[in-house]
Amino acid sequence: MMRESYEKSLAALNDSLLQMGMLIETAIAGAVTALKSKDLALARKVMEQDYVIDTKEKEIAGLCVSLLLLQQPVASDLRMVTAASRIISDMERIGDQAADISEIVLAMESDDYCQYLGEIGAMAENAIGMLNDSIDAYVHQDLSLVKKVRAQDDTVDALFVKAKDSMADRLWNHARQNKCAIDLIMIAKYFERIADHSVNIANWTEFCKTGYYKSARII
Amino acid sequence: MQQVKFEIKDLNLYYRAFQALKAISLSIPAHRITSFIGPSGCGKSSFLKTLNRLNDLVEGARVEGQVLLDGSDIYTQVDPITLRRRVGMVFQQPNPFPQSVYDNVAFGPRMQGISKKAALDEIVETSLRQAAIWEELKDRLRKSALSLSGGQQQRLCIARTLAVKPDVILMDEPTSALDPISTTKIEDLVVQLRERYTIVIVTHNMQQAARISDETAFFLLGEMVECNDTKEIFSHPASKKTEDYISGRFG
Amino acid sequence: MERIKKAKLADACMTAVFCCVAGAFLLLLLVFASYVILRGFLGASPEMFTFTRKGMMNQLFNTVYLVFLSLLISAPLGIGAGICLSEYTRGGKLSELIRMCIETLSSLPSIVVGLFGYLVFILMTGFKWNLLAGALAVSILCLPLITSTTCDAMRNLPDAYRAGGMGLGATKWQTVSHILLPACLPRIFTGMILAAGRGFGEAAALLYTAGMSTDLNWSNWNLLSPTCPLNPMRPGETLSLYIWSSFTESTAANAQKAANLSAAILMLLVLVFNLLVRKLSQHIDRKSLGETVCSK
Repeated sequence: MMRESYEKSLAALNDSLLQMGMLIETAIAGAVTALKSKDLALARKVMEQDYVIDTKEKEIAGLCVSLLLLQQPVASDLRMVTAASRIISDMERIGDQAADISEIVLAMESDDYCQYLGEIGAMAENAIGMLNDSIDAYVHQDLSLVKKVRAQDDTVDALFVKAKDSMADRLWNHARQNKCAIDLIMIAKYFERIADHSVNIANWTEFCKTGYYKSARII
Repeated sequence: MQQVKFEIKDLNLYYRAFQALKAISLSIPAHRITSFIGPSGCGKSSFLKTLNRLNDLVEGARVEGQVLLDGSDIYTQVDPITLRRRVGMVFQQPNPFPQSVYDNVAFGPRMQGISKKAALDEIVETSLRQAAIWEELKDRLRKSALSLSGGQQQRLCIARTLAVKPDVILMDEPTSALDPISTTKIEDLVVQLRERYTIVIVTHNMQQAARISDETAFFLLGEMVECNDTKEIFSHPASKKTEDYISGRFG
Repeated sequence: MERIKKAKLADACMTAVFCCVAGAFLLLLLVFASYVILRGFLGASPEMFTFTRKGMMNQLFNTVYLVFLSLLISAPLGIGAGICLSEYTRGGKLSELIRMCIETLSSLPSIVVGLFGYLVFILMTGFKWNLLAGALAVSILCLPLITSTTCDAMRNLPDAYRAGGMGLGATKWQTVSHILLPACLPRIFTGMILAAGRGFGEAAALLYTAGMSTDLNWSNWNLLSPTCPLNPMRPGETLSLYIWSSFTESTAANAQKAANLSAAILMLLVLVFNLLVRKLSQHIDRKSLGETVCSK
């Protein structure tokens, strides 16, 4: 095999990226479970794992820069390395959001909020689905999954609007649930951001395969 | 603890009145690829030739300072013939002898006194395998080396150098006369050879230095400006001159 | 357009001129060679082809043997001097001096060399006229040619071979003997052909060294005897001397015809020798290069 060490570096980058994907999928799943079942130990664990995700991001960033510097990749290799360096920052933000959700779960320890989740539950399921699809889209370079993720973002945005209205209503009409309502709106916002970051991952996956980013040919 | 193969202390090289190298001091680590980069005429090829005393053949060349190979000064404690068997060289233009492939590779061992056919056969095969060219040439051993392509000739020259079982291989722009595919094959070969040999490579091609070398030294006008880990030199060069050169602002 | 037409015309004219020159040259050689050979063989009688006093086969043998001896002496010396000039004393006053000596030697008149040979190899040593003295005289004439051929052949070899050889830890002599010399062998052989060709036709240098008589007994193989064919210390008349003596001194009836035949045989000898050595050098070339498939 020619350029063996280069091929190994590219494979190592790919593997690291997938490992980071798995870490954030675990983090989000943990945060949602902790939210729905008020599992405080799990919430704490998700917050601790954020450090691992941040370290992974730095490691992969270093790999990308090294590859660009030392191996001068071109064509599909260049797109792959560039896409990877952008995807990890969205992944790291998703990890942060999972930790933030867990932090709020810990803060809502005393509240009886589970009955008020409503649309947020559906948002959580959608966000998890979109995240998994976007990472699968990258793994398999599957453009149909990219389209699916983009379409699903509209669903999440619509759910967010409904969730806001519910919480606004709760704030207005049920004073004792104020704090809980505000916390839940923040959680809803985090899920909406997670969905947006998943769309970004899907967009960079499309760039990796075609050179088009958000419908414009950038290289 | 990184083993040091060559220790160069305060080396000055003069061609008659012209000073080609000025007070060069550096360590070349064992089992690593060290590359020398720099603009034309900066002295990197001359420096390479001081490491195997090929400069002795140039009229008017004079060396001052110390060059230690495994602790022994090569100018006072080692004789040139023994030295050149330990420190092999591959040149810019492939230069196979006008003989068969077999005779080319067997030349070094024959000069060392090995004459038994079985021993020579084994050395030829091992060397050609190490140079990743055995499969291509095993049916053409008796054919003329001059009938090979440029890339094959260069790999043959590498095999010829390996046949004397050196410790160090010096390469003076080994791929500058070759096409990209042959260049890649030789770069892959050099990376593989690192495990058994110490390699010093002079190159005009900075990307090549970035791709394959562990340490890089930058030469300018006979002086060594900087020597460091390759990644460091190319990402955080200590000297502005280095940065200007590697970003193509001069040279 | 006028200029282009003129240029094309001039080009066509000069091509024609050069073709004519080449043609004339070829014609001259053919005419000359065939005239001599035909005239010689047409007037020949069978007894001329015998190894006796009446025939000239003994002289043919002497010619070949003498040239062989002179090459035996001059080749090692000449090749050695050529290697020395090219590899060991490049540039510098010494090599200039040697070059000057070689050039002078090569333009010496052969009669002068012959007289020198007579003085040193015959008078000083006390020997009678002998083949060896003749061979020595001829080798003085051949030496410069072989030396300069060897030296030029070696100088024309790329320096890359030397660098490659020395870079592998070979000594200078190993590089010369195992790489450089084998690479120039064909050209050195060519030099030897030219030298031999000169030797075959030498007359003046042999007049007072090799002697004018030849008395061979082909059944006598005692090397010390004066009638043994292989004894270099015996006198030996060569073909060229035979031609000269037939024309000027002989009183025999068919002296003229004998001389013509001698000339023809000598010419044939040179041609055949050329072909043989050329074949030999090609064979050596092929063996040392290995089989060349095709050039890059």
